[in-house]
Parts: sequence; C-alpha cells; structure tokens
Amino acid sequence: MATVRLKNIHKEFNGVKILKGIDLDVNDGEFCVFVGPSGCGKSTLLRIISGLEDATSGTIEIGGKDVTKSDPIDRGIAMVFQSYALYPHLTVRDNIGFGLSLAKRPKNEIRERVDAAAKMLQLESLLDRKPKDLSGGQRQRVAIGRAIVREPEVFLFDEPLSNLDAALRSKMRIELTELHATLNATMIYVTHDQIEAMTMADKIVVLNAGHIEQVGTPMELYHHPQTPFVAGFIGSPKMNLFEGAIAKEHNADLYGIRPEHLTLSPKEGKWKGVVKHIEQLGADAIVHIHVESLGMLVVRVDGDFSITAGSTIYATPQEGKEHLF
Amino acid sequence: MKRQQIINGVIALVIGVLIFVTPFIFIGLTAVKSAAEASQLGLSWPSEWLFWDNLVAVIQARNYMLLLAYFNSTVITVGAISLLVISAAMIGYVIQRRPSKWNGFIYALILAGLMIPPAVVPTIWLLKELHLFKTLHGMILIQVAYGLSFSVLLFRSFIASIPRDLDEAAIIDGAKPWQVFFKVILPLLKPVTVTVILVQSVTIFNDFTNPLYYLPGKDNVTVQLTLYNFQSQFSSQMNLLFMNILLVTIPPLIMFIFFNKQIVKGMTAGAVKG
Amino acid sequence: MKSSRSYPYWFILPGGLVYLVLFLVPTVAAFWFSLTHWDLFETRFIGLDNYYQFLREPFLITGVVNTVIFGVLTSIAKSVLGLLLAVLLTSGLLGQSFLRTLIFFPVLVSTIGVGIAFAEIMHPARGMLNIGLSYFGIQGPAWLIDPNLALFSVALVDIWKGVGLATLIYIAGLATISSDYYEAARIDGATKLQMFFRITVPLVRPATVTVVTLSLIGGLRSFDIIWAMTKGGPGFSSDVLASVIYKQYQAGFYGLSTAGNIILFALVAFIVIPLTYWFNRREVDL
Ligand SMILES: Nc1ncnc2c1ncn2[C@@H]1O[C@H](COP(=O)(O)OP(=O)(O)O)[C@@H](O)[C@H]1O
Ligand SMILES: [Mg+2]
Repeated sequence: MATVRLKNIHKEFNGVKILKGIDLDVNDGEFCVFVGPSGCGKSTLLRIISGLEDATSGTIEIGGKDVTKSDPIDRGIAMVFQSYALYPHLTVRDNIGFGLSLAKRPKNEIRERVDAAAKMLQLESLLDRKPKDLSGGQRQRVAIGRAIVREPEVFLFDEPLSNLDAALRSKMRIELTELHATLNATMIYVTHDQIEAMTMADKIVVLNAGHIEQVGTPMELYHHPQTPFVAGFIGSPKMNLFEGAIAKEHNADLYGIRPEHLTLSPKEGKWKGVVKHIEQLGADAIVHIHVESLGMLVVRVDGDFSITAGSTIYATPQEGKEHLF
Repeated sequence: MKRQQIINGVIALVIGVLIFVTPFIFIGLTAVKSAAEASQLGLSWPSEWLFWDNLVAVIQARNYMLLLAYFNSTVITVGAISLLVISAAMIGYVIQRRPSKWNGFIYALILAGLMIPPAVVPTIWLLKELHLFKTLHGMILIQVAYGLSFSVLLFRSFIASIPRDLDEAAIIDGAKPWQVFFKVILPLLKPVTVTVILVQSVTIFNDFTNPLYYLPGKDNVTVQLTLYNFQSQFSSQMNLLFMNILLVTIPPLIMFIFFNKQIVKGMTAGAVKG
Repeated sequence: MKSSRSYPYWFILPGGLVYLVLFLVPTVAAFWFSLTHWDLFETRFIGLDNYYQFLREPFLITGVVNTVIFGVLTSIAKSVLGLLLAVLLTSGLLGQSFLRTLIFFPVLVSTIGVGIAFAEIMHPARGMLNIGLSYFGIQGPAWLIDPNLALFSVALVDIWKGVGLATLIYIAGLATISSDYYEAARIDGATKLQMFFRITVPLVRPATVTVVTLSLIGGLRSFDIIWAMTKGGPGFSSDVLASVIYKQYQAGFYGLSTAGNIILFALVAFIVIPLTYWFNRREVDL
C-alpha cells in the first residue's frame, strides 16, 4: 500500500509529444481510474509508472520514494495486461509463482502463496492447466493471481476487461471492486470505457491528448464537468452540447444539458421539435429530436413514455441541471 | 475423384517412379552385388545377395575409416547445431525486439551470409592462425558461421509472432534480460527450433565442400569425404562404393521418414511472404 | 526501462563473433589476397595481375562462362518445372502426396552420393540411362564424356536433385492463392490455360522470387555435384568458378584462387542483387 505521486511527467516518442506535463497524486489504498479516448496516452502513463517505459522528464514517487530511475521490480508494483500475457509454456501454478521463483523464494513458501492467491480467485482446480486450456475469464483471473501473489504496493491494470464479453465484463467489474476492498491496495486502472470508470473508481483521471482534463470522484465529474471534453466523455448517452444563440443567451460559449435532464411534453415546453428516431431500450428510451433553433437533441425518457417518430414534441431542460462553458 | 484424375494420377506415378525411384533402386542393387556384377552397371537382379559381405568390407576399409567418419560427422553436426540454435535465437530475438538505426546494416550482413560464397583460401589462412585448421572444433565453428544467417532469419520471423507483453510481464515479475530470454522466450521457440535443427543437420551432415577444404587428412574424415576417398580407391569395386552411398543416405532417410513435414516447412519458409 | 536494458546487444556477441571472424574477416581479406601472388612460400603484391590472368587464360574464362550457364539454366529449369509440378500435384491427382514425397527426397540426399551414382547411370555404353533410351529407339549421347555436353549433363542431375524443393516452395505459394480468384475467372469464362497465365503465374510471384533467387545463388556456387561427376572435365569443359577455385588452391596458387573467389562474389552480386531489386519493384500489391 502506497501513494503514487507524478510530477510534471513528459514523454516523447521520436520527437512526438505524447504526454504533456502530468501532475497527479494517487492516495494510499485508492482505486484510481485513468480514462480517455484511445491513443490519448493512458497506457504510456501507466507504463511509465510501472518502469517499462522511461519518462522523458518528470519524477515518479511510489510510497514517498523517488523511483524515477528504478527497475520495475524495485518499484513494488504488479501489472495486469490487456492480453493477460500469461506464459504459454507454464502451468497456472507456475505462471502465478513465476515472480516468486525468480526472487528465489523457498519452494514451500511459493506453494503456500500461490495456493492462497488461487483460493481467493477460485482457481484451485485449474492450477495444473496450461493457459491455452483456460477460458478468457479464467485467464483473466490467472493474470490477476500473478499480480496478487507478489503482494505489491500498487496494482496496475491496463484495460484488463476489454477482451471479455459484456456479461463477463460486468461480473469482473464487481469482482475487481471486491478484490480492492479485500486487499485494500492502491490500484491504478486504465480504461477507455467510461462505464468502468464510473462504476469502479474512487478517483477518475480524465486524460485527453496527453494532458489531464479533470480529476475527481465519479459524481463530481458527472455533476461538475470542468471542460466540454469531460462533459461529453462522462455520461451515456452523451451530454447535448450547443454553441450559438442558446449559449449566448447564458453568456457562455457552450451550453450543455444531459439527455436525462430534459422533460418531454406533447403540448408545451421550451423547445419545439420533431421526433426523428427512437431507440427503445426497455427500461428507458433514447429519443432523437430535431429542434429548429438547436439541431439534434437527445433525450432520455422512461421506456413506457408513448411517442412516435414524426410527431411534434416539446422539450424542457430541468432547472439547475444546465452546464455552461 | 474423377476418372480422368485417376488415369492422370497413374501416368504421373509411373513417370515419377521411373525418374525418381530407379536411381535409388540402382544404388541399392549395385550395393549388394559382387564386384564383377556391379561393374556391369545394369539394373539386373543380383545373382547372389552380398549385403553383409559388402557392408562389412566397406566398414573395415581403410582401417574402419567409415566408423571414424560417422563419429566425426556426428560430432560436427551435433556440436554446430547446439551452438547455432542458441546463438541464432539470441540474435534473432535482439534484432526483432530492438529496432534501431543499425538494423538495416545488420540485415545486410545477414543477407550477405546467405548470398556470398565463402572466401576459402583466406579462411584457411585465418583458421591456421587461430590453430583451428584441421580440427573438429574449427569445423564446428565454420558450420555455425555459415548456417547463422538462415537460422537467424527463421528465429527472427518466429519471434515476431510472440507478443512483447510476455517479455514485459516477465520484466515486471523481476526477470533479468537473460532470464526473459532463457525462461520465457526460448521455451516458446520449440517449433522453429525443431525446424532449424532438421534443416541444418541435413545441410551440415551432407556438406562436402567445407570439410574438403578445412578438414583435410584422414583423421578428421567426414562421411561425405569417405565417398570421395573411396571413389578413387574402389573404382574397380563399384559394389562397395555404392554400399557406402547407401549408408550415407540412411541418416537423411530416417530424418525424412520421421520429420518430413517439419523439414518441408523449414525449407519452404519465406516462400509465402517472399 | 529502455530496450537497451531489456534487449542487450551482448546477446548478438557469441554468434556475431563467430560470424565476424570466420566469415566476414576472410571475405574482406580476400580482396587484399586477390591482389597478391600468394603461394606456400610468399605473399607479394602484384596488383590486378590475377584478374588479368582470369581474362586471358581460356580455361579460366570457360569457368566464368560455365558458371553463368549452369546457374541460369538450372535456376530457370527448376522454376519452370517446379511450378508445373506444383500445379499438377495440387490438382487432386491420385497419389499426389506420395509423388510430392518422392520428388522431394533427393533434396535431402548427399550431393556427392547422387553425383557418383549418376556418373555411372550416365555411362555412355553400359549406363542405365542410355539402355533405357535404347528401348525407345533413341541412341543416347556420351553424357559426361562429350565435352560439349558434360556441363549440361551435370546440370540435368542438379535439376533432378533440386526440383523437389522448388516444387514444394511453389506448392506453399499456391496454397496462399484464394480459390475465389479461380471461381471468379470461371464465371468470366476463362479457360484452364488462361487461368494459369492470368492468375496462377502472377499471384504465385513471391514463390517464384524465392525459387529463382535460391536456385540461382546455389547454382552459381555449385561445386559438389560437378566435382563428383566430372571434376570439371573432360579437359576444362565443365569447369565452373567453384571448381577452378579448388583446383588453383590445390595447385598452390592461393592468390589466383582467391581472385576466382572474388569474381564469384561479384558474379553472384551482379546477377542476384539487380534481380531481387527488379523483382521487388514489380511487386504486385494484393
Ligand atoms: N513505443 C512507441 N513508439 C512510438 N509511439 C508510441 C509508442 N507507444 C505509444 N505510442 C504512441 O503514443 C500515443 C499514446 O499511446 P497509448 O499510451 O498506448 O494510448 P492509449 O493507451 O491511451 O490508447 C499513441 O499515439 C501511440 O501511437
Ligand atoms: Mg492503451
């Protein structure tokens, strides 16, 4: 368990600036999620923390110790890769115990620690198999087991769930959250999926094009996005964002309202529009409305709300839920 | 299978057997004939089968030279291949994993090894300077040098298919670079290693030119050199010469029977991507 | 952790050192030695004299010309026959996998053994080949005895031994051509012959590059087969550079032998490098 502190991290690849001055504090025991569109530099930042990549400039402290120049093994970290990176020629037991055997731990200690990790992840019955004989979800657990067994101070995850199907992914989200509660370790988790960020994080770091847009708890980001990028990125469906007259009306450059913060009425309301398209999801429905003065407006309504494409409708933003930039 | 295909197949089989099998039947028959009959050179059935007599005579010739030759060829082949596999895998690994401005240059050197005929006399001069001329270990190192390019290319293209994540996972697990290679990468190279072993062992075992230049003298005779030596000695005993050819053909035949697929894969590697 | 630390260059050292000392150094040294009069007793700089000698002495010139003939002829024959055999042996013929095995086996057999055996098979009077031909009423030539024929006879055996490899490379190449092309062509009404020239030949090009390059490099450097069958004879009629190099070495003319070696590199380089360049330039993008 340890804090992670990044100071003014810059990274260039062949003269191309990928990270442009990252300052960040991750607290002890925190579940911190880096989220951002793909290619924004999340993995690069994580790899710099892990020591797989050197920063061009800036410093990294883990547990109060400057580790900028340290090898990965001396940083007290463990990492779970998107591809799992299990050693194909080793059994599950040897995969999990690989780091310990490199560290020349006694045989029986390795066995006990591997057994304990396997128990926590319900892998006991699979210990003698090779990775190719495991399902995607099981491989994922082995990869996590390999991290747990080393008892690192900081866990690093690089999009660990992106190779799983939707059902397994939501199950693993819960398991990882529970694991975090059990181990109470600092975890840094990279994803491009804002749902993962919202559901798992204590702290979300939104990255965009190599810099931090905003840091905060999930609800802070939802209610108080500080930039249009964060406003558009967090929340699904995306927030409606409009320039022009409506923004001027509020003395701003950009006016935003979330789809769930609009009320529809067949008779009256602030904006009159024509229903173009309805995505029925059951519990709720996403309605796309063309409003003359704004353009396309997306509204989330109750699934039972009766509405037909082509009909005229009125939309009204809820009081105090508007965002101005 | 259509009727036409069957007919064509039979015709092709007959022609194929005629062209590609008769020479081996000729070798086999001549090897078991008497000297007088063998000198007729025909495909006729031997009037008496002298398989054992001829075998023993060939083995005993020149003070059991053939046995010594088998021993030497085995030492050279096994020694060269062990060194070749380890050193070529290490080179293939580094140049695949570590792109740098040197890579073009290294690649050119590798291709040079595939293309340029070795400069024999200067090599002999150098081997003499290093006291490696006429020694088995000198021959082993020569075979390593000459087989390196091909092996490195095979290893390099196989290593490209191993995800880098594995190296990084091992580094995170605390592996030193040599541990990443020997504990994680090398065990995964088994299929391509088998290919390299098979192709190179056929090449090295069958090599005639290099032992001719670098291993003169009868103490270091190799299997292929015995053929050449016996060619003049046995000119009146064709049966023994052909028995020798038969014996020399056996090791590749065994390899062929057991590992045909892998050998074919290794020798045709690169055909697809060009 | 930079790649310099994860993938240290010393990994190249063991193999690289052997390669440097036993291959690269002699290759570079050869340029110097080729400019010397070098025998058992002395090494004396004589400039380009060795090369002049190669251009003057008819038997040395024959060696150069024969090398080109042998290399080009065997390479073309192996590619053409290899492609035809590959097409035949992927057409669903009865016993095609057995035939593939059959024609590949000679590739693995000792060249010297094959050479010695064929020298007897090609015996003008008693040899199996001419006896076989006589059944068809053909009077076979004096394969290895006739100076005008010896080189071509050896080339024939080299093709016999090597065509199996070419065939297998082509079979691997044919396997990469999607059957969609053939089906589309059939719908367009193409004949078998049109399909072969319009689809197979262009699309199997990477295999052609491999076969031509490999057999050309091998053919230009050929030594074993020639030495086992004719030793360059009769006279110098089937001498190639590789056999000239050996003969001059045996005779103690080390400088001349090395000049032959340099001429052989040059020949290989001047033929193979432009060829590869030309092949790559005309690469079809699929
Ligand atoms: N080793 C590298 N060399 C050159 N460019 C790289 C390298 N690694 C990543 N990049 C570039 O850096 C940018 C950020 O990559 P990455 O951190 O993997 O993004 P993310 O994980 O957010 O999708 C991308 O544009 C990528 O192409
Ligand atoms: Mg990434």
